[in-house]
Amino acid sequence: MATASLSATTRGTAGKGVARKLRAAGQIPAVIYGHGREPQSLALTARELERLLDRVAYTSTVIELAIAGGTTAKTLIREIQRHPFKKQILHVDFQELVAGEKVTVSIPVILVGTATGVREGGGILDQVMHKLEIRVDPAEILNHIDVDVTTLTIGHSIHVGELKLPAGVEVLDDAKATICVCAAPKAAEVTAAPEAGAVAEPELIRKAKADEAEEAK
Amino acid sequence: MLAPKRVKFRKMFKGRTNGLATRGATVAFGTYGLQALEPGWVTARQIEASRVALTRHIKRGGKVWIRIFPDKPVTKKPAETRMGKGKGSPELWVAVVRPGRVMFEIEGVEQKVAHQALTLAAAKLGVKTKIVAREEAHTE
Repeated sequence: MATASLSATTRGTAGKGVARKLRAAGQIPAVIYGHGREPQSLALTARELERLLDRVAYTSTVIELAIAGGTTAKTLIREIQRHPFKKQILHVDFQELVAGEKVTVSIPVILVGTATGVREGGGILDQVMHKLEIRVDPAEILNHIDVDVTTLTIGHSIHVGELKLPAGVEVLDDAKATICVCAAPKAAEVTAAPEAGAVAEPELIRKAKADEAEEAK
Repeated sequence: MLAPKRVKFRKMFKGRTNGLATRGATVAFGTYGLQALEPGWVTARQIEASRVALTRHIKRGGKVWIRIFPDKPVTKKPAETRMGKGKGSPELWVAVVRPGRVMFEIEGVEQKVAHQALTLAAAKLGVKTKIVAREEAHTE
């Protein structure tokens, strides 16, 4: 289980005006919630959070959140809202973990090695699934799952059901779901010459319906 | 070139492109993507040119995703025509793009090759773009 620590301050105010002022002051609005506790609005230091996110896979890392006032909570980051194209983080959700209560976590899937099909056959390794949903006790959260692909040949794939996971880990994804596939190399591309004239007009859905109505009469 | 097979109406209003892309703004399929930084129309011809540039550069390795579709018809009046007499005829198809939209994604090639390919593809488009990567899966 990977852990990291972060500090936060409480805030009594909420709303977009407050959130904008916080962001302008180098802080990030956040919230902590969990089973049996009231949601509490927080503020984080933007630089501290960005440094943390550079180091860890946040979906599967337990964050020990030190809240001003002396309380500490073991949490998971449930959501990070970001600006659509700037690097700015807008808001963070923390879920407090309760000892003995299982939680659903998204674990990064990491492919290890070079597939035989890629090395010898020139195939393409396509990773279809990048995260695996598991249900696990908070004390046993996996940081990531390594999938060995060295024996994978062209035309073969690895499925969720083939993964070897520690005891106590319940996989929520479909056992038949594909994690990665080694595809055959593509044939040389044949590019059609661009059409010189106007683009052919598509069929009208509306017109077809009118015709049908006339036929009915 | 990409174009709809069936449509409800032949012509469409110009419309205004306001706001940011709230959907399709993250790299969802591949490892690297090309993200729009300004609003605009990307024509079917530009999408095709970018696709050709991407696939030619990565040769036979890798996989490409096109995450925009030109579903908006643009009309034009013939040259030397007086104003009036109705709207022109549909001439091209465009995809309406808002800032943040990931338009192309690529997987299965090295970072350097992916960056070169996406730079070539970006040169074919009429909107400012940047290259983005999937959120890395960190290990400690």
